[in-house]
Amino acid sequence: MKACRKYKKEWVAYLSRELPEKKAEEISRHLQECPLCRREMEKTAQVLGLAGNFGEELERVMDTVDWESLAETIASRAVEKNKKEVQAPAFPAGWQWRWQPLLAGMFLGLILGGLLTLGLINQRKPHLAARQEPSVSVPEDLLERVEVALARKSTIEYLERSEYLLLELLKDGQNRLAEPEKQAVIRQMLTEKKYLNVLLDDWRLMKAKNICDQIELLFLELNQLSPELSAAELEKLRKMVEENQLLLKINLVKKELQQSEV
Amino acid sequence: MPSNHKPGCDEQMELLVDRVKNGDREAFVRIVAAYQQKVFVLAYSLLRDREDALDLVQEVFMRVYEKIGSYRSGENFQAWLMRIARNLSIDFLRRRKKSDSLSDINLDRAELAAEISDPISYQTNVLIHKALMSIPEKQRLVFILHHFEGLKYEEIARRLGIAGGTVKSLHFKAVQKLKKSLEPALGGGK
Repeated sequence: MKACRKYKKEWVAYLSRELPEKKAEEISRHLQECPLCRREMEKTAQVLGLAGNFGEELERVMDTVDWESLAETIASRAVEKNKKEVQAPAFPAGWQWRWQPLLAGMFLGLILGGLLTLGLINQRKPHLAARQEPSVSVPEDLLERVEVALARKSTIEYLERSEYLLLELLKDGQNRLAEPEKQAVIRQMLTEKKYLNVLLDDWRLMKAKNICDQIELLFLELNQLSPELSAAELEKLRKMVEENQLLLKINLVKKELQQSEV
Repeated sequence: MPSNHKPGCDEQMELLVDRVKNGDREAFVRIVAAYQQKVFVLAYSLLRDREDALDLVQEVFMRVYEKIGSYRSGENFQAWLMRIARNLSIDFLRRRKKSDSLSDINLDRAELAAEISDPISYQTNVLIHKALMSIPEKQRLVFILHHFEGLKYEEIARRLGIAGGTVKSLHFKAVQKLKKSLEPALGGGK
């Protein structure tokens, strides 16, 4: 019985011809002597036989595909798609990093300024305010939905910019992320995250908050980068991105956010 | 069955990848031609639908082309590509799971024809596919690579970046689990 247990774990490898010759002979001898093991081995062989059937089906299906023209078609489509994306970039190079936050800030400033001015005017003209008061009433749930929608939009933008930075980290051979310009971008992302924290404080955005927190941790590490950072340390950060599958998670969360209805 | 990866072709593949990075379409056709069948084996084993598997093959290579800039020279290209294939297959399965329950086998015209022409073989294949989908992903991957792509343990270990002993153990566990779920069909009982 002890011998049976010892050989049991080798059966699959034995049937797959993956054992060294000596070991395989040893098992063959045991099988001749042990009817119990022989029966179990036959069952295992049956399973592998069924897999063989499926393998035959796979081969038959593969025979129906014109592989040569498939390769050509796929290559053409990939090149075509890439060409379209290159021809019409969403923003010119450098645009996103430098101007978008500034414009967003200005836009926000304008709105706040406008609201404040309106408030002041209404204070000075109480009769006007009183006349306008009953005309606008917004349901509370609508406001909440708008807030969540805004939070989703800001999060998607944050994730997209983080994705570009992480891709640069993965590609970067000379530690360019330690350059002052890039460090400024990373600091900006950290500041932005603080603003995002308030928006992400909603149970519907828990998953997004989680991934944003992971990214923030990584950015904190990246913020410590110095030009003398060793290749090993840089590699450690890359591994952190790869092992946590950050890019995949970012994409999944982005897709989820894009698909969610407000 | 697709041809196995030969140790000498790494350098050649690196050259092709460099050419693709410089926009050489022909080089990309050669890369697709070299790996499309391997990706198809994985896709068909998971989806058991010719058209879905072909869609997935296309999706994988579109992504490879898009991301080829992030491939680092010296890295195992095949492992890199198959990682993309694996991730996209998981996404594909999730999407499919949403649209219809995974346990329900879609009967399209081709499948009905197969069932009518050879009912026993058809049923057997449905069973093995269902059983295969019920085992853990890594065990399933090792099983597919060994039985449907014809790779030896050593080659699987290289491709997945794990030890040979781990491959052996994953294969053993996969077969044990398949045996358990197929027991009734194999004549059941001990």
